[in-house]
Amino acid sequence: MTVGELPEGGLTGRPDVLDGPFTTRQLLRLDEALRMADTSTGLTFSVYVGELDEPVREDAERLHAKLPDPPRSVLLAVSPNQRVLEIVTGAAARKRLSDRDCKLAALSMTAAFSGGDLAGGIVAGLAQLAEHAGKAPQV
Amino acid sequence: MTFTLSEVLILLVPSVAVVLLITALVFAGSARHSKRYRPGRPFEFRPVWFLAAPERLAGKVGAAALPDRPGQRELPAGHAGEPVEGPLLAALTEGPQEVGGASDRW
Repeated sequence: MTVGELPEGGLTGRPDVLDGPFTTRQLLRLDEALRMADTSTGLTFSVYVGELDEPVREDAERLHAKLPDPPRSVLLAVSPNQRVLEIVTGAAARKRLSDRDCKLAALSMTAAFSGGDLAGGIVAGLAQLAEHAGKAPQV
Repeated sequence: MTFTLSEVLILLVPSVAVVLLITALVFAGSARHSKRYRPGRPFEFRPVWFLAAPERLAGKVGAAALPDRPGQRELPAGHAGEPVEGPLLAALTEGPQEVGGASDRW
């Protein structure tokens, strides 16, 4: 399973994502969407679903900074109970994903979230962001 | 017009059984879909953090963030986790880190 999990009391021996907000089918869809976004763009996409501390933007940026390669990473932080979505792009990722692109993706994501479709919104947002970022540059 | 006890039972028992069956099915269905998120209602779940390929990143700078522990490849980050520190992260965070993105609410 290529899914990270964040237990409350620290790390446990195995990812127990089934206690998370998604069903197995939704997890598979998310996994596929993340893989597609990563391979097609060359960027690193990551999705966090959970509570964010206030101020939420700064907290999302802190989470983004903990990713292995922050400049080339894109974090989608979703807090269902706070009804907040934060998209954070690193310096290199921002050159390919403008803030306007992120805002457009955020709009479509929140439309799905407001209908109760968390997984669908995230998958749609990932696809939209990957499309805007374009193909990975050939080295 | 009078009914005998057996006639009453014949009419009543199947009706009550059908009502109980439908009630049980309704409650079973709602319990199965209890994970469904409904905006505005409390939604209890464990926070999760997804990364497409932690094993691919582990060989690069991600080694600091993805320690090689048997049976554990998840990303140790978030509120409960310790901040990643060390020379690899220091090299990455030198200078101002410009971030962009967007925020939205629903």
